[in-house]
Amino acid sequence: MNIKEERSNDVVICVLEGEVNINTSPELRKTFDGIIKANAKKVLVDFSGVSYIDSSGLATLIEMFQRLKKTGGMLRFSNMSEKIRNVFEITKLHKLFEIFDTRQEALKGF
Amino acid sequence: MRISEKIPSKLEIVPEFVSALIGKIKTLSIGEDEVFDIKLSLEEALINAIKHGNKMNPSFYVEVYLEIKDHRLTIKVKDQGEGFDFKNLPDPTTDENLEKPSGRGIFLIKSLMDEFEFFDCGRGIKMVKFVKKGGALR
Repeated sequence: MNIKEERSNDVVICVLEGEVNINTSPELRKTFDGIIKANAKKVLVDFSGVSYIDSSGLATLIEMFQRLKKTGGMLRFSNMSEKIRNVFEITKLHKLFEIFDTRQEALKGF
Repeated sequence: MRISEKIPSKLEIVPEFVSALIGKIKTLSIGEDEVFDIKLSLEEALINAIKHGNKMNPSFYVEVYLEIKDHRLTIKVKDQGEGFDFKNLPDPTTDENLEKPSGRGIFLIKSLMDEFEFFDCGRGIKMVKFVKKGGALR
């Protein structure tokens, strides 16, 4: 998995590419650690390059959501493929996370 | 197609093992959506077997059996652990469990596969996916 960090004003955008699985989730967690340490409050995860996610990937995102919530921060997601979005809908995690179709929509009012 | 394998209880080898197996299934022209569901279900079953079944014991292994017959793909995953009470699994989609990071593996398998059952006191999982495409399935 490739993780690229970008910025749009005060929003940190994590652009993910590849598979979020049991082997790559620790790398994502490490990236999130750095974002939390840098005291960022608004984080957008761009899923446009994500082809696969498993329950360890979902767990990593939930942990990040909880950490940001504790510090008064916010986590948003964008650009999921239909299959990835389906995983969030099956698990009802679309009720927990803010999921947007595009990055522009996610950045609006963030 | 029939495949029978044994893998050691090492989580780090799961994605590569699953990808190799999925590569074999893909040669049968099964639809991409179905391949995604099968891949995720197989990976979740293996992770559960290694983590919760074999409790990461390096001397235990996990047996994997896969068969495709008459547009019916069957996977069995069996560990060497003590089994568990599979009748009382918590629902990860309820409000009180939604924010819990773990506990979604079995739920995903149940949702993505067409048939699902535990066997041998929870040491094994049998799951079936009806595959639509591929004339060369028999």
